[in-house]
Amino acid sequence: MSPLPSRNRQLALRRAGFRSVPEMLDYAARGETGVTFYSARGEALSDLPWKDVRERAHIVARKLIGAGFARGERLLITADTWPGFFDAFFGAQYAGLLPVPVSIPVGIGGKDAYLDQLRRQFAASGAVAAVGIDDLAGFLADAAAEFPAVRLHGGMDVLEALPEKPVELRPLQPDELCYIQFSSGSTRHPHGVQITQAALMANLAGMVGPAGLDIVQGDRAASWLPLYHDMGLIGFTLAPLSAQLSIDYLTPRDFARRPMQWLNIIARNKATVSYSPSFGYDLAVRRGAAQVPADLDLSCWRHAGIGGDMVRAGVLERFAETFEANGFDRSAFIPSYGMAEVCLAITFSKGGTGVRTDTVDRVVLSEAQRAQPAPDPDDPLHARRFVICGRVLPGHELEVRDDAGRLLSDRAVGRIFVKGPSVMPGYFGEPEASREVLSPDGWLDTGDLGYLLDGEIVVTGRAKDLIIVNGRNVWPQDIEWALEARRIVKSGDSAAFSVDTGEGERVVVAVLARVAGEEGRASLARDVAGAVREAVVVDCEVVLVPPTVGLPMTSSGKLSRSRTRANYLAGHYQPKPAAA
Amino acid sequence: MVLSIAHNVIVENDDAPLSYRRQPTRGEVISEICTQLDAFRSDDAQVIRGATVISKDLNIDSLAVMDMIMELEDRFDVSIPMNAVAEIHTVDELADTILKLTARR
Repeated sequence: MSPLPSRNRQLALRRAGFRSVPEMLDYAARGETGVTFYSARGEALSDLPWKDVRERAHIVARKLIGAGFARGERLLITADTWPGFFDAFFGAQYAGLLPVPVSIPVGIGGKDAYLDQLRRQFAASGAVAAVGIDDLAGFLADAAAEFPAVRLHGGMDVLEALPEKPVELRPLQPDELCYIQFSSGSTRHPHGVQITQAALMANLAGMVGPAGLDIVQGDRAASWLPLYHDMGLIGFTLAPLSAQLSIDYLTPRDFARRPMQWLNIIARNKATVSYSPSFGYDLAVRRGAAQVPADLDLSCWRHAGIGGDMVRAGVLERFAETFEANGFDRSAFIPSYGMAEVCLAITFSKGGTGVRTDTVDRVVLSEAQRAQPAPDPDDPLHARRFVICGRVLPGHELEVRDDAGRLLSDRAVGRIFVKGPSVMPGYFGEPEASREVLSPDGWLDTGDLGYLLDGEIVVTGRAKDLIIVNGRNVWPQDIEWALEARRIVKSGDSAAFSVDTGEGERVVVAVLARVAGEEGRASLARDVAGAVREAVVVDCEVVLVPPTVGLPMTSSGKLSRSRTRANYLAGHYQPKPAAA
Repeated sequence: MVLSIAHNVIVENDDAPLSYRRQPTRGEVISEICTQLDAFRSDDAQVIRGATVISKDLNIDSLAVMDMIMELEDRFDVSIPMNAVAEIHTVDELADTILKLTARR
């Protein structure tokens, strides 16, 4: 199977400027470009020109409309990287239904946690139908059993079995929603971001336009990013579609197993645009560097984007050094910043400048919240390096404010606020949670901390306790609740937090050890680590805290994760158990 | 037009050793799993048993678990569907899953 072309023969490149996803697909379907799915071995499994994506979507849409689904109803889709996702997602767009992409289970023993998450997503989205890969049909049935509103669920065969009726398509209109993006919030209380067609169109225009990736004729996208994540779906399905690009896909799990396939696909198909959180670049170096094919040529890679977690300069430098001999150009790096609440992107670093950093004094930063240039940038004990993530997209505003809401000047660290046409109208069905982050005049509280430097943003951390591991958001509550639910520790006896290793985040779970003896302590530590792995699929360090020491509380009697973390960093919880 | 291109199950059989093109015995499967898991014992005295809970009793991280599953898939020429992976906790359950899949070949 030869790759789909990177250029359309006749169709003129149009960079966004559409009014809705159906309009975008209608236009791209007039060309020859499209999407190709690759296996872990780098073989093309199937390809779908945009023309076929549209035709298949029309069939699905007529089936859904014919089955009596009403405009605005929600269709939950397990968002594995496979053609079925495209059928369901774009089918819903032409049927006037709202897709709700959800993740697929990861790791072993994760069934219960996955079902729990599915149920919460059914509840939060009020979905009336759910489809996914055949393997997950059983899990969808289990989770849907508690929701009588769910009228259809199963593998893609349940959609296929619906009769295709001669009904009029009823595409989602420019003033309607596009889909619901689960992203922020804990898995216990998932918040579904309402992605509107209008906000999406505005964000896509920024992304593919001159202030973003500045897409040109012949550009080609490659991606292993999960389609249930905004960076995967908006960044690497909808953005390339908005500029009629071809896309080459690898599934996230095949990438994790064989990260070199990502680079092989880029090199072989001459892809020019590909993104990853820092950890993906790290994985490619750690697990791929030993088996770099001699003829791997990455000189085609024009935009190597970084987003989805804190951008790590050290990791990117190692990647650039490792693959320099293969033609990788470090000036291709584009650090960027964003979140689902603005569809995807807020800032892009200027193309062609690579990773630029600012090195500040650690002590002044943590004590005075000022990013003061470090006297000796090479002293790792006193200097902290941050990546500069660029300017806010045209038509948008970005401010850094202090706790009292006052505007801060350059180099003063505060909360990042954003306003503009990409900002969501709110979380689906959750006016209260929406009001917490959106002001009446349209400013979004990103919950992130950072400072401005000549109009560019530098993100320094998160205001909340959110943990990000390998690009995944993990809420400390989810870890603590998992331990309580399994009766490993009582409520309030554990505190989860992350520590910055300079290369990424490491999860630490401090638990009160109400057990005696070395054997009991070791067994508790194993239980905690095992439960955390099962519940949220992250590896953690377990710290056992004697009950006589206790975990720190806030003045209102609530567990203080930040103080637990500070105690841990100060070495108050030594010695660490060996078996964690 | 057939709407579902079911390629979520990738059968990769080129690397499978010839010996396992036949139906392996339970002992062979268990022994292969134990070999894969040997490096992850929490201490030298630990013996891996059928009831050993993989993600809990051993010092194995999530990426290494995925590597192990992939190794076993190659070794026994099977593909373990993700729903089955999500239901495996112990060495016994992993062995049973592999045996069921090899019997179906």
